Amino acid sequence: MRILIYLLLCLLLFSSSCFAKQPQQPDKKERCPVCGMFISPYRDWMGTILFKDDSQLFFDGAKDLFRYYFSLPNKNDSRTRDDIAEIYLTDYYSVRLLPVNQLFLVLGSDVSGPMGHEMIPVTGEEAAKTFAKDHNGQKIISFEQLTPQLIPKD
Amino acid sequence: MSARLKILEHALASMARRKQKNFAIIAVYTLTVATLASILFLTQALRNEAANVLLGAPDLVVQRLLAGHHDLIPKQYAEQIAKLPGVGKVTPRVWGYYYDSLKKVNFTLLGVNDASEPPLLAGHLPTSGRQCALGRGIADTYGVEIGDSLVLVDSKNRTLLYEITGLFSHQSSLLTNDLILLPEAELRRFFALPDSQASDLAVQVYNEQEVSTLAKKIKHQLPDTRPIGKMEILHTYDTVFNWRSGIMLTIFSSALIAFCILAWDKATGISAEEKREIGILKAIGWETSDVLLLKFWEGLAVSLSSFLLGTIIAYLHIFFFGAGVLGPVIQGWSVLFPKFDLTPAIDLYQIFALAGLTIIPYIACTVIPSWKNAVTDPDSVMRS
Repeated sequence: MRILIYLLLCLLLFSSSCFAKQPQQPDKKERCPVCGMFISPYRDWMGTILFKDDSQLFFDGAKDLFRYYFSLPNKNDSRTRDDIAEIYLTDYYSVRLLPVNQLFLVLGSDVSGPMGHEMIPVTGEEAAKTFAKDHNGQKIISFEQLTPQLIPKD
Repeated sequence: MSARLKILEHALASMARRKQKNFAIIAVYTLTVATLASILFLTQALRNEAANVLLGAPDLVVQRLLAGHHDLIPKQYAEQIAKLPGVGKVTPRVWGYYYDSLKKVNFTLLGVNDASEPPLLAGHLPTSGRQCALGRGIADTYGVEIGDSLVLVDSKNRTLLYEITGLFSHQSSLLTNDLILLPEAELRRFFALPDSQASDLAVQVYNEQEVSTLAKKIKHQLPDTRPIGKMEILHTYDTVFNWRSGIMLTIFSSALIAFCILAWDKATGISAEEKREIGILKAIGWETSDVLLLKFWEGLAVSLSSFLLGTIIAYLHIFFFGAGVLGPVIQGWSVLFPKFDLTPAIDLYQIFALAGLTIIPYIACTVIPSWKNAVTDPDSVMRS
């Protein structure tokens, strides 16, 4: 019986993965797996990871998302970074979820998110520079340049 | 019938025996509750209306200042503002005030140029030259309906006739009550406004956090402008309403204190007759707790009925009779605008606070002195 359920579940997952990957919106009870905070009051900061098996995790900011990202695989989570289909972050200026490779991250700015110091995702280098100038940002990086050391500590 | 209900029956009967005293207390009590509840209802309703207005307000309004007062803003400012990151749509708005010397009221004239139908509009928006849409207040002032004509005198002193094609419903009163919508081109002709300028710019900002930064940037790039954020307007409204209701509460707190003195005097000054009654009740075998229950029922009957009566009167006063007594005080200069009905908005928390502040002290005032009497020896009570 249990095998049958697993098979059905696999079939379901497989069939749904045929559709184009689009991030879902979190429901009200969704919590950040890193800090445990509710997501929905902080929609303007939300980040999400879409996995290849179509599961999705929500984070209440870029900082927590990347903390999780660099911790993979860990003892609570068997998934690896290769299982990730796409990472989405909320663009500061347009408040829309966008794929991480379209965004620049501004470090050290005076804008803080729900978890304190934050790395602010901004679309386009021009806008990122404007943001850094307006909000005292120290450094602009792309996702490829990100290392665990650059993630704000608090 | 249980013993408790019999005590309630006795309480009501004994109150009926002292009709005059109880009616006097209920009348004054009701009046006090009605005034206090009126203030609460009115400020709550106004604050609610203001919040509703601001829900649809633009995130940022940019005005141009010339010699310290509001002036027309060039349209190219809109393009410059739209280039800033974080800014959505920038809409130049055209509007103006119109004073009708016959009816002695002020109207707001607003230009429309897109086809999107606003909610709560019966009929349709003006499309061609000589058409207009009205708020309820103006329609009532002139006694006109859809299909009728409205007469306005333009800046060149020409009398113009506009066909009414749309009417806003009551629900949108505070927002649309004194509003006349005209096609933008027609409004420019009406006020003789140049095509290259607008009254102000409505700026959409995606991220709420960025509004203040954008306001600073706009002010820096265009030093002759004044950007006003949505939150600033909200705070202004809030301060104004709090201040006005504060003044009224200060005035009426004296009424409250006067009521307290009366309640204390009426309720505590147990008459010799009442003392004798308590003594007799004790002598025929009533427990002290029964006497207290009796007095509790009496106090509750008086205070609860006055409270309910007062709240109902306040509700009718504010929402059915347009706050006739308090309106002029709290609305200030806006009496110049057409009259409007408030949408009922009641904060249950405030009602319970008012109930707690009036019912409980009164019951305490009646029960405590009776308890003092009830615990003394019936013989000495009756002899005294």
